[in-house]
Amino acid sequence: MDFLLSLQGVIAGYGAGDILKGVDLDVSPGTVTCLIGPNGAGKSTVLKTISGLLRPRTGDVRFKGEEINRLAPRARLLRGIVHVPQDRSLFPAMTVWDNLLMGGYVVKDQKAVRRRIDEAAAVFPICTRRAHDQAGSLSGGEQKQVELARTLVLDPGLILLDEPSIGLDPKSRHQVFASIRRLAESGRTVLLVEQNARSGLAASDFGAVLESGVVRLVATGASLLEDPEVARLYLGAGRATALTMGGITPDTGRSPSTITSEGAR
Amino acid sequence: MHALIQGIILGVLTAGVYALMASGQTLIFGIMKVVNLAQGAMVILGAYLSYQLFTSFGIDPLLAIPITTVAMFILGVAVQLLFLRPLKAEDRSELSLLVTFAVALLLEGIMSVTWKTSVRSINTGYANSSWTVFGYQITLVRLWAFLLSIAALLVLYLLLNRTRFGRAIRATVQNPESARLLGVESSRVSALGFGLGAATAAAAGSVYGLLYPFNSGSHYDLISRLLSIVLLGGLGSIGGAVVGALIVSTSSAVVASAISPSWSEMTFFVILLLVLLIRPQGLFGTTARGAI
Ligand SMILES: Nc1ncnc2c1ncn2[C@@H]1O[C@H](COP(=O)(O)OP(=O)(O)OP(=O)(O)O)[C@@H](O)[C@H]1O
Ligand SMILES: [Mg+2]
Repeated sequence: MDFLLSLQGVIAGYGAGDILKGVDLDVSPGTVTCLIGPNGAGKSTVLKTISGLLRPRTGDVRFKGEEINRLAPRARLLRGIVHVPQDRSLFPAMTVWDNLLMGGYVVKDQKAVRRRIDEAAAVFPICTRRAHDQAGSLSGGEQKQVELARTLVLDPGLILLDEPSIGLDPKSRHQVFASIRRLAESGRTVLLVEQNARSGLAASDFGAVLESGVVRLVATGASLLEDPEVARLYLGAGRATALTMGGITPDTGRSPSTITSEGAR
Repeated sequence: MHALIQGIILGVLTAGVYALMASGQTLIFGIMKVVNLAQGAMVILGAYLSYQLFTSFGIDPLLAIPITTVAMFILGVAVQLLFLRPLKAEDRSELSLLVTFAVALLLEGIMSVTWKTSVRSINTGYANSSWTVFGYQITLVRLWAFLLSIAALLVLYLLLNRTRFGRAIRATVQNPESARLLGVESSRVSALGFGLGAATAAAAGSVYGLLYPFNSGSHYDLISRLLSIVLLGGLGSIGGAVVGALIVSTSSAVVASAISPSWSEMTFFVILLLVLLIRPQGLFGTTARGAI
C-alpha cells in the first residue's frame, strides 16, 4: 500500500547534537496515528521536520511520494501539510473569524477559503457561535476547537497535532479526541503527539513509540494499549504511578502527572 | 475654567498628529520588536517633502499626503532591507537602537544639506484663520490637521483590519510562530510593515508641517515625545498609542494654558514616570508583545 507520509532514517537536531537519530515512520491516508514517548524524546521535533520548521540533516521525508526535505514550510502548506503547535496558536486579539481566514492565508482562491470556512464552521459550531469574539476570550477547549477548524481551511492532506489535549479539562479533552475521530471519519489523515497516551491511542488507528530519537515500536492503537511494556511506561501503571507521587521530573520540570494523568488517577 | 477647556480643545486637536506618528512607531515595534529611533526624522522628512510640494507646486498637504506616504513607504522598505534585515535575530532588538539612530542622523544630515538648517513652515492660505465658538478659539489649521490625522488613522485601521496583508501583520504581532506556521513570511511582513510605519510617519509629517515650524534638528524633540507616548500607551498597541497621544497632548496643552507654557514640556514626562511606576507595561500593553 502507498503511504501518504513516509519518514526514513531522519536525523535532525538544533545545535550540536542530534535529537532524532534515525526516525522511520509511515502514515497511511485516512488514518489517525498517535506518537507517544517520554518528555524530550523528540516528538515535537518529528512534527517540525514534517512541516518544515526544521530541516533534517539526513534522511528522507516523503509526502504523497514526493521528497519534501528541501521544501520551505510555505510550500509544504500549499501541498496540504498543516501543523498545529503545542502552545496555543490562535491570534488572541483577532476575531475567531479572522483566525479562520488566516488558516487560508496561503490559498490564492479566496472563494474556496470562504467555502471551506463555512464547511469547517458546520463541523465546529463554536466558529459560528463566537465568530465575532476575540479568540483570546474563548476557553482553552473552545480555542482548540477553533484551531482544529482552522486546519480545515487549508483542505489539508495531513494534519499534524502537537499535544492537542494539553492543559484542557477532562470534558474538553474528550471533545478534542472526538473531533479528531470525526476528522478521520471524513477522510482526513492525522498524526498527533500525545502525553495523554491512553486517550491518544484510544482515538487512533495506529500508535508509535518514540524513545531517545528513534521509533521503537509501531502497532495498532488498540494493541499498544494492551502491551504490558507500553502500559508500564506510558499508561500510568507500575513505575509511572510511583513517579506521580514523587512530583516533578528533574529534566523537564514538568509534572509527570501530565504524562499519565488518566491512567494514574 | 475657560483656560482649562481651551487647553483641552487645543490638546485634543493636537493629539491627532501625535497619535498618527506614534501608531507608526508602535506598529514597527509590534512587528519586529525594534524601537525605531528614526521615526522622528522620518516625520520631519515627510514635513519637508510636503513643504517642497507646497512651495514648488502649491500642492496642499491634503493632496501631498498620498505622494509623501508612497515615497516614504519605499524609503522605509529600503531602510529595513538594507540596515535591519542583516541583523541577526538574537541581537536585533539591541543593535537596532544603534542602527535606527544612525539612520536618524543620516536623514538629518541629508535634510540639513538639502534644505539648510533655517526653520521652515508650510503657510497655507488658511493658516491664520480661526473661529470663535462659545468664546473658545479654534484655528482652522488645527481643525484641518486633526481631521487629516483622523482620516489617516482610519486608513491605517482599515488596512490592518480589513485586508489580507493587514491580517498577516496583526497575526505576526500576536503570535509570530503561529503566523509562520500558516505561511506568513515574516521577512516580507517586516519589510512591508516597516514601510507602512514610515508611510504613517510621512502622513504625520505633512500634518506636522502645517502645525509647527521645523528644521532638520526637530526630530530630537519629536522622538522623545513619541517614545513617551508609545511607552505610555504600551509598546505594540495602536489603541494605546492613540490614548497615550490624547493624554500627553491634552495634559501639556492644559498646563500650558492654565499654568504656564514653560511647565508644559515637563508635564508628560511626569505623567509618563507615574504611569510606568504603576504599570510598567504601559496603559494598554497587556502582554509583552501587545496586540495590533
Ligand atoms: N528550538 C530548540 N532549540 C534547541 N533545542 C531544542 C529546541 N526544541 C527542542 N529542543 C530540544 O530537543 C529535545 C527534544 O525536544 P522535543 O520538543 O522534540 O521533545 P518532545 O518529545 O516533544 O518533548 P515534550 O514532551 O516535552 O514536548 C529536547 O531535549 C529539547 O530540549
Ligand atoms: Mg513536544
